[in-house]
Amino acid sequence: MSSILELQNLKKYFATQKAVDDISLAVERGQIFGLLGPNGAGKTTLIRMITGIFYPDEGQITFDGKKFDPINDVGHIGYMPEERGLYKKMKIGEQAMYLAQLKGLSKADALKKIKQWFIKFEMESWWNKKVEDLSKGMSQKLQFVTTVLHEPKLIILDEPFSGLDPVNSNLIKDEIFSLAKNGSTIIFSTHRMEQVEEICDHIALVNRGKKILDGTVKEVKQEFKENLFSVGIDHELSSVNGITPFEIVGKKKDLHIIKINEGSKPNDVLQYLLNQQTTIHSFNEILPSLNDIFIKLVEGTPAARQFQKI
Amino acid sequence: MKKIWLIIKREYLTRVRKKTFIISTLLFPILWIALIFGMGYLAKESVVNLKVAVIDSSGYFSAERLSQQNAIDKSSTLIPITTNADKIIADHKKEGYDGYIVIPAMSWKTGTDELLLKSNKSYGSSSTTIVEAKLNRMWNEIKNDSLQIDAVKQEILTGSRIKLKSENINDKTANVKTAEGIGYACGFLIYFILLIYGSQVMMGVMEEKTNRIAEVIVSSVKPFQMMLGKILGIGLVALTQFFLWIAFVLIIYNVGKFSGAGGGMANQLVGTMQSMFTGVDVPLILFCFAFYFLGGFFFYASLYGAIGSAVNEDMREAQSLSFPITMLVILSIALMSSTIANPTSPIAVWASIIPFSSPIVMMARIPFGVPNTVPWWQLGLSMASLVLGFMITVWFAGKIYRTGILMYGKKPSWKEMIKWAFRKN
Repeated sequence: MSSILELQNLKKYFATQKAVDDISLAVERGQIFGLLGPNGAGKTTLIRMITGIFYPDEGQITFDGKKFDPINDVGHIGYMPEERGLYKKMKIGEQAMYLAQLKGLSKADALKKIKQWFIKFEMESWWNKKVEDLSKGMSQKLQFVTTVLHEPKLIILDEPFSGLDPVNSNLIKDEIFSLAKNGSTIIFSTHRMEQVEEICDHIALVNRGKKILDGTVKEVKQEFKENLFSVGIDHELSSVNGITPFEIVGKKKDLHIIKINEGSKPNDVLQYLLNQQTTIHSFNEILPSLNDIFIKLVEGTPAARQFQKI
Repeated sequence: MKKIWLIIKREYLTRVRKKTFIISTLLFPILWIALIFGMGYLAKESVVNLKVAVIDSSGYFSAERLSQQNAIDKSSTLIPITTNADKIIADHKKEGYDGYIVIPAMSWKTGTDELLLKSNKSYGSSSTTIVEAKLNRMWNEIKNDSLQIDAVKQEILTGSRIKLKSENINDKTANVKTAEGIGYACGFLIYFILLIYGSQVMMGVMEEKTNRIAEVIVSSVKPFQMMLGKILGIGLVALTQFFLWIAFVLIIYNVGKFSGAGGGMANQLVGTMQSMFTGVDVPLILFCFAFYFLGGFFFYASLYGAIGSAVNEDMREAQSLSFPITMLVILSIALMSSTIANPTSPIAVWASIIPFSSPIVMMARIPFGVPNTVPWWQLGLSMASLVLGFMITVWFAGKIYRTGILMYGKKPSWKEMIKWAFRKN
């Protein structure tokens, strides 16, 4: 697998803030890549550089093995910004045609693909309606279609599920999986960590213009695990300092939450419990949720970063 | 290039297909004609047919003379009063008169400087001048009779007059009045187009910004292409409307000309147009009009576009930022008036060369004649500086646009916007 997108030491400074301050990362082909970060972390600026809207002050972007060429490569990128935008007074069919042709599709090609997508999303009857007649969820679906219509190699979705009901969320989610399976790469930016855990293969966390975390979801969880286990046994458990290889940190119904001491292994705990002549019902590792990791890493960031002088 | 073309097409079609475009295209000439005829009608309506009592002590204004004049001119009635004059002076309204005139005893040689039309309410000068003219006609008759001047002598006295007309022997131009008229018409048309279509560009950009479609579009095309496409598209809409109006005028002209008995209004129009345009270099004026109209439009529309990109949805912000630009257009109109009064004054020459005012001022000068009132070098310099001017404003606006279109929050000042323009990417 080769990288579809590589960022090397990317920098973008604005008058009052270092929006992106030396970020490097690589996105593999076919990956669903989660780009995470608190509000104002520099995600949007980073995305705007990848979509050719901004030029980086420093650093290099490599797209599909070549130096990024904003004029030609934007045809292979689909971008759905967080703030949705469509012409309110324009008919939906014409609007989709217009946006598709701006991405470089021929008229016939655009028409064919729009029809396919409209059938898939049950939007055929919308063609002559105007965007102002649509509900928020409906226009979101239209926005998604116009983003992926030209079969981009790289799809960037900023909060794609906001405002969607569970049924439509699932529809889009399935579409994201199938696009990735068919070779598109997806960069997915969101604050909803449960969606990231469900969807993303790989994540990067950005804060204050810097990348502070990068890895697969599994790696990241392993990295931040605190050796916590939940133990279900018949009788009360107590820890004795220096004797038990663990500490009890809490209790949830019948389960004891334990933290394994440094230098000990889970098997040591099991060994200890077996020696206690008790029945073990369950023994599970507790991995941190991405939400916990996110909060842990980002907590304490001053909210008014954008007003700092650099 | 293909993408700019797509943008132009969208901007053009969405506007031309709107009902408001069709309605305004049809309504503008109709309103214009209605205004001209309506004003004439209203002016006529406000004239009151006055019934005036004449109390004559001079003995010249006899009952016979008055009734003779009343028969000729029915737009006022003068009634001689021989008895009960006091009653009328006490209350002329009650006696059924709108007012009364007391003519004192006087000699026909010296006459009197003024007479008073006394009434209990004021009448407009258009009504009283009718009475005044009637009195003067009679006074002339009285003097003629006393001097024993008969109708033949009278004809000799008043018949021949010397008229002085000015004619510029170098220029192929009509009389000054026509040149003034064409100058005003062209200047005001460009003025309206700059303001109306300039603000359409501004609103269009604001719409894209507040709808947040801008970010989607700039991920496909460069902001500069997006702005240029919008300006060109809307410029084409203005041009379309202009051509439709010309077609409208030509149709009326030809229908009136060939139908012959096309009725009063059409015939009148054909007559005035024929006499107006004799000696006018119509092709040159049309070419220059199209040039200055487009050049001026690019010059101002790009600035309006830049403002649209800088503000948020608040119309007041847009108005306060665009005020200096609108002032420039209005200043051009002020300069146009002084230009028409004296088309070769230094102010007129320079105002017609400097790009911000040249679209309006030069169009007011050209009807006076090329190349004598406007030498070729001035026309050439003016056109070249307008092209250079709009290239600079389009470039400048593009820089502001690029930053502004994705910037939300506080309204920037002009100072900040200029800073954006000179910032690297």
